[in-house]
Amino acid sequence: MTLPADLVITGQGLVLPCGDGVEAARASLASRTPCFAELPETLGHGRGAACTAFDPTGIIPPMQLRRLDRASRFAWVAAHQAFRDAGLDPKAGTWGGGERIAVAVGTMSGGSEASEAFMRPYLLRGPEGASPLLFPNTVANAASGHLALAFGLKGPSATFVDRENAAFTALDQAARWLRAGLVDAALVLGTDGLFPLLMDVCGGARLLDRHGNPDVGSGRGFLPGEGAQAFLLETSSHAEARGARSRATLHTLADRSAPDTGREGRARALAQAAALALDGRCPTRWIGGGNGLARMDTQEARLAAAHPDWPAPHFPKALWGEFGGSGGQLLAAALLEPSDLTLVTAPASSGAQFAALLEGVRLESL
Amino acid sequence: MNRVVVTGLGIVSSLALDREGTWSAMLAGRDGLGPLTRLDLPAEPAQIAGQVPLQPLRHQTLCERMALLALEEALDGFRPGGDPARIGIFQGAGTSGLPVAEAYLNDRLAGRRGHAAEPAYQGPCTATDALARRVGAEGPRGTIMNACSSSLLAMGVAWERLAAGELDLAVSGGAEGLCRTTYAGFSSLKAVDPHKCRPFSRDRAGLNLGEGAVQLLLEPLDLALARGAAIYGEVLGYGASMDAHHPTAPHPGGEGAARAMAMALRTGRMEPAQVDLVSAHGTATPANDGAECLAIRRALGGAANTVSVTSTKSQFGHTLGAAGAMGAAAALLALRDQVVSPTLRLEDPDPVCDLDCTPLAAKQRRIRAALVNAFAFGGNNVSLLLARWGGA
Repeated sequence: MTLPADLVITGQGLVLPCGDGVEAARASLASRTPCFAELPETLGHGRGAACTAFDPTGIIPPMQLRRLDRASRFAWVAAHQAFRDAGLDPKAGTWGGGERIAVAVGTMSGGSEASEAFMRPYLLRGPEGASPLLFPNTVANAASGHLALAFGLKGPSATFVDRENAAFTALDQAARWLRAGLVDAALVLGTDGLFPLLMDVCGGARLLDRHGNPDVGSGRGFLPGEGAQAFLLETSSHAEARGARSRATLHTLADRSAPDTGREGRARALAQAAALALDGRCPTRWIGGGNGLARMDTQEARLAAAHPDWPAPHFPKALWGEFGGSGGQLLAAALLEPSDLTLVTAPASSGAQFAALLEGVRLESL
Repeated sequence: MNRVVVTGLGIVSSLALDREGTWSAMLAGRDGLGPLTRLDLPAEPAQIAGQVPLQPLRHQTLCERMALLALEEALDGFRPGGDPARIGIFQGAGTSGLPVAEAYLNDRLAGRRGHAAEPAYQGPCTATDALARRVGAEGPRGTIMNACSSSLLAMGVAWERLAAGELDLAVSGGAEGLCRTTYAGFSSLKAVDPHKCRPFSRDRAGLNLGEGAVQLLLEPLDLALARGAAIYGEVLGYGASMDAHHPTAPHPGGEGAARAMAMALRTGRMEPAQVDLVSAHGTATPANDGAECLAIRRALGGAANTVSVTSTKSQFGHTLGAAGAMGAAAALLALRDQVVSPTLRLEDPDPVCDLDCTPLAAKQRRIRAALVNAFAFGGNNVSLLLARWGGA
């Protein structure tokens, strides 16, 4: 897919292991300090990047907070920040009572935390252990439903699930709805929460770095993280008409996949996606999705070797963890430093490989 | 915009493991509901489900197995060629790899080591990847998990790409197998009928859960004609909306669902009076069916008086992530054969459901276009607009 250069990001909201909000993320990225630590028992056994400073007070009403899984809580706060950053009140009449705003979510684990919480007592105690309050959150699209309720959003909605870059599939879909004129704005989110079974499975499958913080290129494995990143996407004409300032233009978004999930095919697919996104240009900044797992890191290592003129990539997943937004972290990092042409490569161990080109990244907000 | 047609249709259901077997059984008034044997849940009050007579294989979940089987039937010997980057895979999933995760969790709770690699590598996107391997696709892939509207939205998304001229072929559909989480979950909500479900009935008491898979091949019309492909019907567009009303219950007046249907009609540039069939979500829960009938009236206006409505839930139970695809398959075959499959056990219609819901027996009639509905938790509504293919 190649987008015309008329889609802009006008708002950003971030919940990350380094803290809530853009300033905390910018400081974390600048210091390059990883956020990994021993997880609290409630989130699982081992090291990961948890959102320990997350504070929804004053944003999510206490009654609602009780009903939300972690991914939905993060998504709510990130969406709140993104709307505020964009200077957009979704409940205002100009948005057709919410009908002109779409929601597209990417997640690796959406619904899984609640599924574990629901099934543990059920497996131990039978039907009397089953909680009807937990069950609605076991679906991957729980977050989008909660956001619709919280912000009165009534446009189209889609939740995409993949391992490492589902937020880019969500971005792609949101762009289509905007291009088709079906909506005036789209809220794009990546969101994931940590939970014990995830840590258990990743550890048992020997995917995790057991020696310290993940190191891209080491092949030792990754460490999981959590959080949400929300982006308000509009056509440039619509943003201009309402006086909104653009954080960046989404110049191109490209995806390619390989029939098999082996390294060779995926590396080739990512290279093709990057070539499509750049169309002969040289990026001034590069954000990559390497996470410390050999089969992920290889793809971008090959890309870097083939393009020595490109700037060295930054790897935000080495700071904030894998899955914590299913690639949304990469877009977030791309928007945190000014740059003329920022290339974002989002490799995945399955599905499509994505590359996005952001033009004119600026830091000012309303 | 390119015109987009359906050139392949594969069905794996609790009635039969193929398309024509399933369709003929539906028209004959049979259902695939029977005693629950897939899951050992003796304490659950409802012991009924629509199960597919297949088992998962060692490295293949039931969903993946059913999806591949449905794809083989949809391909019907066709070997996709051309540019592999112009072949896309768009799938809807509900629970997908969840049974594997449940088994692992059960092992861990019992103090066993378990096989962590299985849940680690058998996720929702596994079936999508397997389908891509089968057809050699190198284009876009999407695994949509919008709960019960997943597979219908996947078809809409596939149509979008083809209509925009970005693809030459798309494989779209969904697969769903029974798992404990959904069975126990719907049971905890008291939404499962211990007897065979009765969509649109006055005494409807909830849904039955079911299994199945549907895969469609979607192509631009010109390419389909050029290769002389059989054409089941045309996809004209889709609509999608959110209720913003309740986490699990639909808007009681069907407001969001009506907007999705209206959006599908607008996208497909079709008037309500041209729609002769609604393949309904029709879950047989007290909340859904009344709201959906109101939504149909809102969207179609006076044309609702002449439209036929049917629910595949009466044959298969609720196949969750695959439900929209099952409804689309039934609508495509109805368009092909000009006959509406019946809503079984509809002996005493709910006065709120005052539409022609095709009670008990199949109905031969003119069908020019059909809306397919799928609604989901989170107030998520999708409607797909299909039209009869009458030749170039």
